[in-house]
Amino acid sequence: MHKLIEFIRSVYLVVLFVVLEALAIGYYARSTYYTQARLLARSNAAAGWVHERFADLHRYFRLEAENRMLIERVATLEERLAQYDEAANIDRLRNYMLDIGESKYRVMTATVISNTINRSQNFVTINRGRRDGVVPDMAVLAPNGAMLGYVVDCTDRYAVVMPVLNTSFRASGKLAGADYFGSIYWDGADPHVVSMGELSKYAEPRRGQEVVTTGFSQFFPEDVLIGRIESVAMDETRTSYTVRVRLAADPARLTDVILVENRDACEILDLQHSEGVKERLRTN
Amino acid sequence: MYRVTTYSLLFLITVLLQIFLFDNLSVSIYLNPLIYVAFVVLLPVDALPVLVLLAGLLMGAAMDFLMGTAGINTMATLLLAFVRQPVLTSLYNRDDLREGGIPSPERLGHHVFLNYLIVLVLVHHTVFFTLEALSWSHALRTAVRVVASSAVTVAVVWLLSRMFTAKFVVRL
Repeated sequence: MHKLIEFIRSVYLVVLFVVLEALAIGYYARSTYYTQARLLARSNAAAGWVHERFADLHRYFRLEAENRMLIERVATLEERLAQYDEAANIDRLRNYMLDIGESKYRVMTATVISNTINRSQNFVTINRGRRDGVVPDMAVLAPNGAMLGYVVDCTDRYAVVMPVLNTSFRASGKLAGADYFGSIYWDGADPHVVSMGELSKYAEPRRGQEVVTTGFSQFFPEDVLIGRIESVAMDETRTSYTVRVRLAADPARLTDVILVENRDACEILDLQHSEGVKERLRTN
Repeated sequence: MYRVTTYSLLFLITVLLQIFLFDNLSVSIYLNPLIYVAFVVLLPVDALPVLVLLAGLLMGAAMDFLMGTAGINTMATLLLAFVRQPVLTSLYNRDDLREGGIPSPERLGHHVFLNYLIVLVLVHHTVFFTLEALSWSHALRTAVRVVASSAVTVAVVWLLSRMFTAKFVVRL
């Protein structure tokens, strides 16, 4: 009798363990990067405030470096503005401005309150949310204007960004000055280097060449700097290149980011999913 | 039930340390110490296995929620809680286990406690990083991450255990 009780006791522990483990595995198996972002967004409702205080402290110590970078950025923009002033025919510029009305892109800034680089599914949390007009799919750029990621989920006060350092991240990139494009992804190894695959074998990528975003993406504006080519390798099939790109943004030292919303994104997306387009798909 | 308050405090401290300190380290991709295992590791040696398992579930689920990892922490911590008892009985005298108490270098002996700690942390970190990478193509990198992070975790949990037991001496 004693042995029976002992047996039941040992077995019920194993059963409990197996059931709990199975539940956890089941939940994990059904999860996507979106589930993870959702979890983070929820928990930030509670932990966000403390994260923000720590981020403030961290930011304070980086103010000097940040200032220097901002001045450099202002200088380059000044230079570019001067070029426009010189080159642009004033009349033509005026007409151009009238045509587009307001800019296609809306830009705002946000502060990073928590950020990891040591997982394969990294996420960045920022202190702007729905209340500030942040919506999923907004592009996120580093303070030096380089590509960083896009918003996947937001609550009222916070938003979770999927940075390029997430193995689920996908974007298209092209060689600056050429029209050959490839897909940008991270293999989970070096937090400063990403890969660009499926680059045409005619592209002739060179070391040091700049890689920028394409205009195809629904997230990023065209010609946002991604990084510079570090090494080039031909695929085994010899039909395409895979290049390693050193990121222009430094995801390990993020304090502030720039958010960019494409005002036309909704319209384009609506058009792509419109009845007319679907009709044509069905008939073909 | 005894020491409920002290263990609630330990739970809170390990969670806060993990979320606000160790998760924001961002030093290297190889360093991601999961020091919250201290809570399960430092439960009394005579605690009911069911309670240990439930404690593991609680801690794992809390971490999954706060880190945004959907289930990985729960899986790893449940396994840790499950193997805790067999590891203890295999390393330590069965009669001494009945006496109870908190696992610490003083009670189990430095050597035994270190072995106990290393085995449990390695089990936990191996499961966590393997599931996180979710591919065998980077097996070597995953192994380095397991070893590097485990080393830091073991050191931190060792310190935590010293502090945790030292407090009782003051109190007595």
